[in-house]
Amino acid sequence: MNKKVEARARAEKMKQLRKEHKVTVKRTQGLLKEQKRIHRDICLTIRDTPKTIPEIAEVMEMPSHEVLWHITALKKYDVVAEEGMCGEYVLYTRAEEEA
Amino acid sequence: MMEKLLNTLKIDALVVGGGIAGMQSALDLADQGYQVAMVEKEASIGGKMIALSKVFPTLDCCSCITTPKMSAVAHHENIHLFTYCEVQSVEENTNGFKTTVLQKPRYLDADACTGCRMCEYVCPIDLRNPFDLNMGATRAVRVPFSTAVPQIAVLDMENCILCGKCEKACPVGCIDFSQQPKLFTLQTDTIILATGFETTKRDAKKEYGAGELHNVIDGLMMERLLAPTGPYGRIIRPGDGKEPDSIAYVQCAGSRDKTLGVEYCSRVCCMYAIKQAMLISGSLPLADITIYYMDIRAFGKGYEQFFQNARAMGVEFVRGKVAKITQDDHQNPVVRFESTDNGSKVSERTHDLVVLSTGMLPSYDTKPVYRIPAGDDGFVYVPEPNSAPCVTDREGIFVTGAAAGPMDIVDSIVMAGAAAMESAAYMSEKQDQAEIHEQAEESEMEVAHV
Repeated sequence: MNKKVEARARAEKMKQLRKEHKVTVKRTQGLLKEQKRIHRDICLTIRDTPKTIPEIAEVMEMPSHEVLWHITALKKYDVVAEEGMCGEYVLYTRAEEEA
Repeated sequence: MMEKLLNTLKIDALVVGGGIAGMQSALDLADQGYQVAMVEKEASIGGKMIALSKVFPTLDCCSCITTPKMSAVAHHENIHLFTYCEVQSVEENTNGFKTTVLQKPRYLDADACTGCRMCEYVCPIDLRNPFDLNMGATRAVRVPFSTAVPQIAVLDMENCILCGKCEKACPVGCIDFSQQPKLFTLQTDTIILATGFETTKRDAKKEYGAGELHNVIDGLMMERLLAPTGPYGRIIRPGDGKEPDSIAYVQCAGSRDKTLGVEYCSRVCCMYAIKQAMLISGSLPLADITIYYMDIRAFGKGYEQFFQNARAMGVEFVRGKVAKITQDDHQNPVVRFESTDNGSKVSERTHDLVVLSTGMLPSYDTKPVYRIPAGDDGFVYVPEPNSAPCVTDREGIFVTGAAAGPMDIVDSIVMAGAAAMESAAYMSEKQDQAEIHEQAEESEMEVAHV
């Protein structure tokens, strides 16, 4: 019972906070949606064959510096991993998911 | 903004800034038995130095020097550390200085946070990491960097979607979205300003690409690329991830430049460029490294030998001024320069990556809060720089490190010790005067009694 009350109070508090920070929340939600789409597309692009940054950028029709930043973020949080080199470029692949 | 006024703490000395100079001053004073408060605007102490790779000319690891000092500051029984705080005002009174400090909200209970980073792992939004000069990524709630002191997370409310995932993931339940800024005051006898420096912005010169060429970076960005904790974990160029085979340094890209209003020499750029060139030679042995320079100023102990070592390792030094940097169709920077080595000759060379050796700029105007003016160069004004380099024109307030002017780490540490001594001498003299005054009063009372 207590847990239910606590959860309800917490939900109410979050609702209130979202109302107070309406503008920020709307902006960051838009940013997050876009980011999720890009991350999904990157993961699809490198799922079967490891690729370099210019190769991913070409498939996704995105500037290569932006692709590199997203790959850096995905690598930091263990979604993407390096898999050797192709000439002067690093090859990136989907990191093995934990069972 | 709701602000809550907290109590006043009575402390001997206040050190403003938690970089290498501030930390050294605080430790030197605390070791003498003085109670010291350190106020740092960032969420962690360590300043610029903790982000660097290695120091010149010894090539010692920066983190190995800075981290123990950060830890010593945090654990010293005489040092009271206030991070994520900003000084709002300073009033002089009969007891010294009353400083009002704003504690910015971390949106979590700092005493309860263990720095486990569970909140960071579950946060859904990726943001550019300021610690990696925006090359790497971080999250809206994060511990600032792996060796941050204190190891306490901070939530960036400006980029938070308020999903509440961090709150659920936190094992100690320390997230508090409703936290507000708080004010508190410090009563101190003396203040040491160690507010550090900024570097020339990468986009300051339109001739050098105005910050729009992704493979033209600055010296601090290269420091992050060289650091073991860097954003990519290796040296690749930010434009497209290519491992550079030809790297160029452009010296005086922000110093000795009247067009930018920076006429002075920043004193560190020659040596950090040489240091980075040597480190790159180690990481990428096949890479060609060129340094375009006007003069090499290797003035410190062991610096000239360091410069000669770089030459012997194959780093190419081209004397001449770089006029313009553009880029070709493959994002390779093209450097147009006038070489003065064999008569005047204008040439163009294509490199994979160009590093601008940007200079040091003042980072903080001390006039509004501390009523201390800036000198002609914009750094804190020191009336007698030769005989008393730490003494400002306001009694009881001292300056140290790069807040006083461009200087390297060695000089910052030396000056920090000097500022601590000046400060201790000031407090000691004040104490002596108070005792003499007290004795005189007691004598007068005794005479009156007789």
